[in-house]
Amino acid sequence: MNTNKALVNETEDLPGDFAIWIFILAEMLVFGVMFIVYAFARSNQIEIFNASQLTLSRAMGTLNTIILITSSYFVVRAVSSIKSGDSRRSGHWLLGTIFLGGMFVAVKLWEFNQKFSAGITLETNDFYMFYLTLTFFHLMHVLMGMIILACIVYKLKNGDYSAQEHFGVETGASFWHMVDLLWIVLFPLIYIIR
Amino acid sequence: MNRPLNRFATLIWLALVMLTLATFCIGEEVTAGKTVMLSVLVISLIKGQLIANYFMGLRRVSWLWRGIILGYFVVVGGMIAIAYVK
Repeated sequence: MNTNKALVNETEDLPGDFAIWIFILAEMLVFGVMFIVYAFARSNQIEIFNASQLTLSRAMGTLNTIILITSSYFVVRAVSSIKSGDSRRSGHWLLGTIFLGGMFVAVKLWEFNQKFSAGITLETNDFYMFYLTLTFFHLMHVLMGMIILACIVYKLKNGDYSAQEHFGVETGASFWHMVDLLWIVLFPLIYIIR
Repeated sequence: MNRPLNRFATLIWLALVMLTLATFCIGEEVTAGKTVMLSVLVISLIKGQLIANYFMGLRRVSWLWRGIILGYFVVVGGMIAIAYVK
């Protein structure tokens, strides 16, 4: 009995609400299927995909990756701060995250504008169809994450979270990390591998 | 303030940035091929594990959740690799 108790105490519960983890797994599954479909679609039109991929800015893709990784780091610091009872500092880290999310959106919109200005649309070819669809779908998740984090910042300012009660902060943090995790696959797949 | 944990998180962030820059450098190579593709996928797997275990905090929870995330990267990355060498 004591042994069992000791084993149970070795691990902690998932951070945040369990429901967000089901949502995270569902989202990862959907994106995972789209990544695999992209890879197999490419195998039938390798030259078109490679030529189209070379028109993307790998520098901007890399910049957005670093922005998202840094925003995830900010979220880690926000959770660490609220666990220490410093809700003010936690809010500042989250505001920094939202700012970086805004930078990601700006870079992505710049990229979309470049493509649309060049007359590229969803119908140009299969590569651009996947590129625009996957990155737009991911962008919607970034925007959703920014809204969730803004709500958490509002609640932090109202004193709704503390060192003892920070469930909501961890839930929002987990969602934001998922957005980063998806980009970790999306970036090399669309911008780099050819 | 948990300084050792924050310092560790900073090191993980630095590692992630370095791995991202490595991916960029590989992408800038003119020659593309299986080695490049596999290198980039392995880097993605490492980055995914760093984010899941140390940023999301899965290293402290049941092995099942770590296994799901690792399995995701192995299966999705593996399928992508199969499609590219097909």
